[in-house]
Amino acid sequence: MVLIVGSSGSGKSTLLNMIGLLDRPTNGKIFIDGIDTTTLDDNNISSFRNKKLGFIFQFSNLLTDLSVLENILLPRQIAGTNHTAEKDARDLLKAVGLEDQINKRANKISGGQAQRVAIARGLINNPSIVLADEPTGNLDSVTSDTIVQLMKSMAKKLNQTFIIVTHDKQHFGDVDKVITIKDGRAFEGDQPSEMKVIA
Amino acid sequence: MLFNKKGSLIGAVLAVTIGILVIHVNFVIFQGLFDAIVRDISDYRNGDILVTDDADFIDKSDLSLVNWFERIPYVEAATPRLSSTAEMNMTKNGKLIEETRIPIVGVDPFRDILASTVAQTVNDGSYVFSRNSIVLGSNVARDLGGAQVGDSVKVLIVDRYGQDQIRRFTVSGIAQSPGGQGFDYTAVIHIDTLRDMMNRHGDSGSLIVKLNDPSKAFEVKEFFLRSFPNDDFIAETIEESAEQQLAGFRSGIAMINMIGYFGMMSSAFAIVTIQMMLVNGKTREIGVMRAIGAKRKDILIIFIFQGMIIGAIGAGVGTAAGLGYTFYAKETKMSFNNSLPLEVSYNWEKIIQTALTSFVLAIIASLYPSYRATKLLPVEAMRTV
Repeated sequence: MVLIVGSSGSGKSTLLNMIGLLDRPTNGKIFIDGIDTTTLDDNNISSFRNKKLGFIFQFSNLLTDLSVLENILLPRQIAGTNHTAEKDARDLLKAVGLEDQINKRANKISGGQAQRVAIARGLINNPSIVLADEPTGNLDSVTSDTIVQLMKSMAKKLNQTFIIVTHDKQHFGDVDKVITIKDGRAFEGDQPSEMKVIA
Repeated sequence: MLFNKKGSLIGAVLAVTIGILVIHVNFVIFQGLFDAIVRDISDYRNGDILVTDDADFIDKSDLSLVNWFERIPYVEAATPRLSSTAEMNMTKNGKLIEETRIPIVGVDPFRDILASTVAQTVNDGSYVFSRNSIVLGSNVARDLGGAQVGDSVKVLIVDRYGQDQIRRFTVSGIAQSPGGQGFDYTAVIHIDTLRDMMNRHGDSGSLIVKLNDPSKAFEVKEFFLRSFPNDDFIAETIEESAEQQLAGFRSGIAMINMIGYFGMMSSAFAIVTIQMMLVNGKTREIGVMRAIGAKRKDILIIFIFQGMIIGAIGAGVGTAAGLGYTFYAKETKMSFNNSLPLEVSYNWEKIIQTALTSFVLAIIASLYPSYRATKLLPVEAMRTV
């Protein structure tokens, strides 16, 4: 699990959007799994996002007209690989503790539950990286703790890389790496005395 | 449907439905009116085929021509007619009333009732049955001071030599028909009497031919003209003989149809507007879908598919409503302005064409909103509240 921290406006979310291929860098290259993603066309970027990346947004961004299960299945349907999709979605829902909410409309569940559904949606295609932009930014502290613990356990259980943008690293406790964005530069670590320039 | 906005979708479907319904209602009323006029001209005046002569009068025996026609299996009946104009006068309540330039038609009463429905328009008294009986159109009777069955009318006709020929007739019936194509402004007498008065013994002005299958009119007409190559006959189908009377109506119907198609175009614009509203209302969702891997093509397909559903439901409901209206008009024998009964028919070619056109228009109308949806950038779209 990698945290990206920094003050407001430092460019954390922009960096995450570029890693997530939602934004293009004006110069430089982005390599993911050895692929130079800046050379991909729009169709290939979409496929790449669908297969290699999972997204968890601050406001969960579920499609409110769909049920919990349909939301989780959506990336799989877009990929066009529906084999075992429903079983996988049900397993993920069980893992995030929402197996009893499976047929509820996404607008009928709480903010914490919605964020858990978003985590399941981010994992359904078994991506290389899960990108989370302030996943607890819209939640109270108790629910935030639950979501953080869930992400940590899923990362461990599925051996999954999570890159998380947050301004509140205390919630996350020990993580594998912390990247601090400051004055347009990226540093490894978060203590001024230990920070090492990486970009 | 992925993006569920029932109100907007019902609005779009209604727009298509109303567009189609307007075309169906226009068709029932205006095409029904046109067909009713054709029907009446055919039934009262011209038959399915009208035979005249280049020299104004047919001098060949009417009996031989009628017999020739009635040997053809498609022909139901044929009858000769002769026309002129007359001056009429009658004394009513001690007062002499005169009317000039009244169209007068001579008929063979025994054949005419087989080839024409004029006899059925006599709603008071009976049709011409003897050489001195006359049927007055209701307007002629009115202009003559309220002529009634049994009254005596003096008729003056100028014969072929310019001599006045005067005869007295007894009114046997008064004819009245809706729609203005009947004999309300005409008088009807026996054809032999009119021949005597015009000094045209054995001549006929025209021959009207009634078919049991009007679609064979052209075939029968051509056969007739081929069979009499040395005569100067003119044979016309109802479309040809009534062309002048129908030309105005044709333009009117074309204009009304255009209004209908403009209505359909308006419904297409309504779909564009509603689809744009859907795109604007679902910007965040489109952004999310793009973020999790949906290609521009996927978004395009969603909105075009939505347009197809709108078009299919709208075309289905509109056609069903239109057919319902047509059925109602046919069953209730709907009439125009409470007088002329409309000739209502199901034109399946036009019905299918209208439904398909609106379906295709709904898809075309969805193209631009769909294209706009594909142009949304995921990051910006997701920021939309």
